[in-house]
Amino acid sequence: MGFFLRRLSFYFIALLFAATLNFIIPRAMPGDPVTMMFANATSQVTPERIAAMKELLGFVDGPLYEQFFIYIKSVLTWELGTSVQFYPLSVNSVLGNAFGWSLFLAGSAVLLSFTLGSVLGIFAAWRRGSKFDTIFSPGMLAVQSVPQVVIAMLLMFTFAIGLGWFPTGNAYTPGLTPDWTSWTFIKDVAYHAVLPLIAASIVQVGGFLINMRNNMINLLAEDYITMAKGKGLSENRVVFNYAARNAMLPSVTALSMALGMAIGGQMIVEIIFNYPGLGTVLLNAINARDYQVLQGQLLVMTLFMLFFNLLADMLYVVLDPRLRKGA
Amino acid sequence: MKGLIKLLSNNPKALFGCSILFIFIFMAVFAPLITGHVPNKRTGKPHEYPAAVVKMAQASPDGWVAQNLADDKRKMLMSKKAEHVLGTTRMGRDVWAQVAYGARVSLAVGFGAGIVVCFLATVVGISAGYFGGRVDDILSAAMNIMLVIPQYPLLFVLAAFIGEAGPLTIALIIGMTSWAWGARVIRAQTMSLREKEFVKAAEVLGESRIRIIFIEILPNLISIVGASFIGSVSYAIVTEATISFLGLGDPGTISWGIMLYNVQTSSAILIGAWWELLAPCLALSTLAIGLSMLNFAVDEIANPQLRANKGMKRWEKMAKKDKESRAPHVAVPSFVGAEDLAGGEK
Repeated sequence: MGFFLRRLSFYFIALLFAATLNFIIPRAMPGDPVTMMFANATSQVTPERIAAMKELLGFVDGPLYEQFFIYIKSVLTWELGTSVQFYPLSVNSVLGNAFGWSLFLAGSAVLLSFTLGSVLGIFAAWRRGSKFDTIFSPGMLAVQSVPQVVIAMLLMFTFAIGLGWFPTGNAYTPGLTPDWTSWTFIKDVAYHAVLPLIAASIVQVGGFLINMRNNMINLLAEDYITMAKGKGLSENRVVFNYAARNAMLPSVTALSMALGMAIGGQMIVEIIFNYPGLGTVLLNAINARDYQVLQGQLLVMTLFMLFFNLLADMLYVVLDPRLRKGA
Repeated sequence: MKGLIKLLSNNPKALFGCSILFIFIFMAVFAPLITGHVPNKRTGKPHEYPAAVVKMAQASPDGWVAQNLADDKRKMLMSKKAEHVLGTTRMGRDVWAQVAYGARVSLAVGFGAGIVVCFLATVVGISAGYFGGRVDDILSAAMNIMLVIPQYPLLFVLAAFIGEAGPLTIALIIGMTSWAWGARVIRAQTMSLREKEFVKAAEVLGESRIRIIFIEILPNLISIVGASFIGSVSYAIVTEATISFLGLGDPGTISWGIMLYNVQTSSAILIGAWWELLAPCLALSTLAIGLSMLNFAVDEIANPQLRANKGMKRWEKMAKKDKESRAPHVAVPSFVGAEDLAGGEK
C-alpha cells in the first residue's frame, strides 16, 4: 500500500502544481484578463462594470497570497466559475459536455491503434528482418511523425470536402436530439466519428507497434522461448501464448498513459473536424478570451492525465507481481 | 568525418534522414536564390495553378491533368504565364516562396527549441543522476510533474496569454515545457554510468566532479543526448506549426503553420486550391519523417539489438556457402527430434 500512498501524494502535489501554474499564467502576463477582455468590446465599459465582472469571474482584489488561497479553494471545491462566452453557463457544464465527446474519441482512437499496433508489432518482431518488418516498422514510425494537423487537414480535404463521403464537422447531424437508445442516432455519431477517429489513431499506431516489436525482440532471446520452440510447439502458440503475452505487459501500461495523453494530443483533430470536444472548447475559449474556461480546461486535462497515470501505476502492480511487495 | 560517411552509407535510414534535413537547410539558407518572388507580397493573381499543371494542361487540353486537376477554365486563363512553381495563395502570394522562406522559421524554431530542451534535459538529468540524494529527489519530482502536465493545452494557453507569439517566443516556451522526458532518460543512463569502473577510478584518483561529469560521463551520453535533440527538433517543428495553425502565432511571419492557418481562414479548401494546402503539408511531413528516420537510425546505432537482422542473414548465407563447399556426403545426424523433446516435457 505504501507504493500507492507515495504515488497518490505525488499526484496530489502535481495537481497543486498545475493549479499554481494555472494561477500564475494569467497573472504573469501583461495587463489583467478582465481589462484585456474588454479591450475589444465596442460598448462603453464603466469601471463599475469591470469591477462587477472581476468579482463574477473570481478575480478578487487583495494581496497575491489571498488570491491564491481563494483560487486553490475554488479548485478543491470544484467551483470553476462562470463562462464568459456562454454567459449563464458554468464552466463545469461547458467542460462536462465537451469532456464526454473527447473521452469517446480518445478512448476509441487509443483502443483502435493499440490493437492494430500490437498485432503488427508482434508480426514485425517474429519476422524480424523480413519484408514486412523492414517496410512496416519504419513506415508506421514515419506515419507517426507526420503532424496531426497535416493528417487531419488532408483527410478533411480528400474525404469530407473533395469526395464528400463523410461530414465536415460536428459529432452528430445538427438538429438531431441526442438519444443514446435510438439506433439512428448511434449510427449518425459513428458516421461523424470516422474521420476524426482515423486522424487521431493513425499517428498512434507506430508507437504501439515499435513498443511491442522491441519488447518482443528482447523476449524472443529468452531461454524459455528457445525451449518452447525446441519442444516443437506450434509457431502460433509460441508467438501468442509465450512471447506476446509477456511482451504485452509494458504495452498495457503504455495504453493507459496513452489515454491520458490522447485527450491533450487529439485537440488539433477536434478543432479541424469541429468535433465538440475539449479541444474545440479550448480554441473557442482562447478566441473569446474566456479565461475561466481556459483555466478550468487545463485543470481538467491535467486531472485526466493524472488519473490515467495512476491507473497505469495500478496496472503495473496488478500485472507485475514483483512490485506488489510495497514498502 | 570519414567515420560519419561510413556510418551514413551503412545505414540507409540515416542517409535518408540526413539528406532530407540537408535539403531543407539548403532551402532555408538559399531561399532568396531558389525563388524569384518575395513570400509576403502580392506577386500574382489569386489562386493561380502551379506552373507544371498549367503547362501540362496547355500542352494537352483533353489530358488527365486538364480534366481532373485544372478544372476551372477561368483560372487557367488568368495564370497562363505559369510563373509560380507551386501556384499562388488567395492573396496572390507565391506558395513556393512561402515554403522556402517558411523553412527558415520552422528550422530556426526547431533547432532553437531543440537546443533549449537538450541543454535543460542534460543539465537536469546529469545533476539528478550523478549527485543523487536530495538533488535527485527534487529534480526527479520536477521532471515527473512536468511529465504529467499535458503539453499541448499548456502550450496553447501560454501562447494565447502571450498573444501573437513570434517564432522566438514559441521556441522558448516549447523548450521550457518539454525537457522532462529527455532529462528522465539521461538521468537513468547517468545513474548506471556512475557505477562503472572508470568513473569510480576517476573518483579515487581525486578528479573534480566537474571534470568527471564533462570528461567521463558526458561523452558516453552523446548518443542519448543526440537522440533527444533530434526528437525535440521534430517535436518543436510540428508544435510550432500547430500553434501557428490555430492562429496563436504572429500572423506576420511566414511559416508553414501560418500557411496552413491561411488555408483554413481563406477557405482555400472549399474553393479547391489543393496546392495551397498540399505544399505546407508536404514540407512539414517530409521534414518530420526525415527527422524521425534520423532518430530511428541513432537508436539503431546506439542499440544494435533493434536492428533488423541483416547482419545475421549475411552470416547465414556465408555459413550455407561454407557448408556447400565442404564434403556434402556427411549427413548431419539427428539424435534428438523435436517430438522427443515435446514428449519429454509431458
